[in-house]
Amino acid sequence: MATVQLSEAEKVYVLHGIRDDLRVDGRSCEDYRHVEIETDVVSNTDGSAKVTLGHTAVLVGVKAEMAKPRPAAPEEGYLEFFVDCSANATPKFEGRGGEELGMELTNTLYRVFNNKHSVDLGSLCISPGEHCWLLYVDVLLLQCDGNLYDAISIGIKAALFNTRIPKVLISEGEEGGTEIELSDDPYDCVRLAVDNVPCMVTLCKVGPRYVVDATLQEKACSVASLIMAVTPAGTCTCMRKVGGGSLDPESVFEMTEAGKRVGKSLHGPLVALLSQEESLGKKRQKVGFLG
Amino acid sequence: MPTDTKRIRGPEVSHSLSRFVCKPDTTSLPSDGARADGRSRDQVDVRPMFVRCGLVSQAKGSAYIEAGDTKLICCVYGPKETERKDETDMKCGRLFADMRFAPFACPERGPWIQGSQEKDLSLMVLESLQSAVCLHKYPRSQIDVNVMVLENSGSALAHAITCASLALADAGIEMYGLVLGCSIRQDGDSYLIDPTFLEECGGCQSSGENQGSLTVSFLPNLNQISGLQSDGEMAEGTLAAGVRACIEGCYKLYPVIQQALIKAVRGAGPLPIES
Repeated sequence: MATVQLSEAEKVYVLHGIRDDLRVDGRSCEDYRHVEIETDVVSNTDGSAKVTLGHTAVLVGVKAEMAKPRPAAPEEGYLEFFVDCSANATPKFEGRGGEELGMELTNTLYRVFNNKHSVDLGSLCISPGEHCWLLYVDVLLLQCDGNLYDAISIGIKAALFNTRIPKVLISEGEEGGTEIELSDDPYDCVRLAVDNVPCMVTLCKVGPRYVVDATLQEKACSVASLIMAVTPAGTCTCMRKVGGGSLDPESVFEMTEAGKRVGKSLHGPLVALLSQEESLGKKRQKVGFLG
Repeated sequence: MPTDTKRIRGPEVSHSLSRFVCKPDTTSLPSDGARADGRSRDQVDVRPMFVRCGLVSQAKGSAYIEAGDTKLICCVYGPKETERKDETDMKCGRLFADMRFAPFACPERGPWIQGSQEKDLSLMVLESLQSAVCLHKYPRSQIDVNVMVLENSGSALAHAITCASLALADAGIEMYGLVLGCSIRQDGDSYLIDPTFLEECGGCQSSGENQGSLTVSFLPNLNQISGLQSDGEMAEGTLAAGVRACIEGCYKLYPVIQQALIKAVRGAGPLPIES
């Protein structure tokens, strides 16, 4: 992870600010930084989104491909995640430097989506046991300024919202087998229900308190953080502690409660924003990567 | 190891028999009353545990844990000079943890190469232990922890953490306290502590509310949670209750682990007096 060097005096300054609920950039402990979302940014994908959270920038692309269903679940499609930490974000990621962090993020994403309700996998099935949709969710980190998990999860939700899977028709082939036919109309698509896709909230324990959406400076002052993936209904689909430190049980309970509250409140504005963007249709002014 | 030509490899595609066997009805764990192994639900009823230190003579410290049919062995090597010289932070020692499943550990044969799931578990073991080890006492050195799961019958991660901290203690690495792991499997309103493999797998199939699993690692003498990992869907209240149950489970295991450690120290004879 990209880190910053902080002197003792700077650390004390950050710590005292958080104690008084006033962070270096003027936010209070449960505030997010400015979030910008733009969907449909990469034309070669079936769904894509770019999210900037402060100075953290993440690009998510979803590509649908046809595959054979997993033997354990013949009537379901599946999702594959990959997080690429490019050397653009920080020189430390050059070569294989970003592999460890990428692996950690990828594994967490698998864990977050490892339940029945996040994505309706049954809708990704084309013909049971034979064909299904496999969604490749590829995440690219463009800039790192703390709070990668939250930015990635917002990006994934937006990209899945934006995903359009072409309709296919299954017909009996001449020799008894099945034939798959792609619809001619490029606008004849299926969309994915994203209502239950969880958002991740990272709570960083700094001194006696915890902060949401920590910057790199704040992260440098913290020894442990708690990551929670929260659905709009408030259920938690994944929780894990990251970092080398330990937490006292009471603060864990406090943090899970706060995480649930923050996570729940994240979904409403996000979905509203996404539908608003969609309603603009073709008139929407594209911002792209220079915005 | 794909490049090893001397190893006899099977055909490229082979299937485990378990796919053709009628699935045991794991989805319908009996919702009330006793569990398959006679323990009861909603009670901190951990499996009896057999623990021993110092089995591997080559390692600085080692431990073996057997809980039900889950069997693990852990070896600790070090402190030794660090291999990676590029790290700037030389004031602190570095801890490396590696957790692996033997290919025959699970009902279905696993690969020899470490998969991403094992890497994830290794990271969890590392993060759980890191806060307990006095790494500042070992500058410029590294400590390696290797956990091998010989037989997986559920709760492998939780026991791996316990086993690893015991092996670290056996190796004489200075620590703030022992780290114990405990896991639960939430099934609707009730929880199953220290789940078996079947109970663990049942969670993925059933679609009801509050299906999930949770692993907590805990330092009993400092009252600190050093690791936390949950999976599946759980309400926040259930999650908090689960963490409490896990902590209680850890307290139950604590005397067993302490006894094993005391026994190991006694067996090693009097400590050499340093001048």
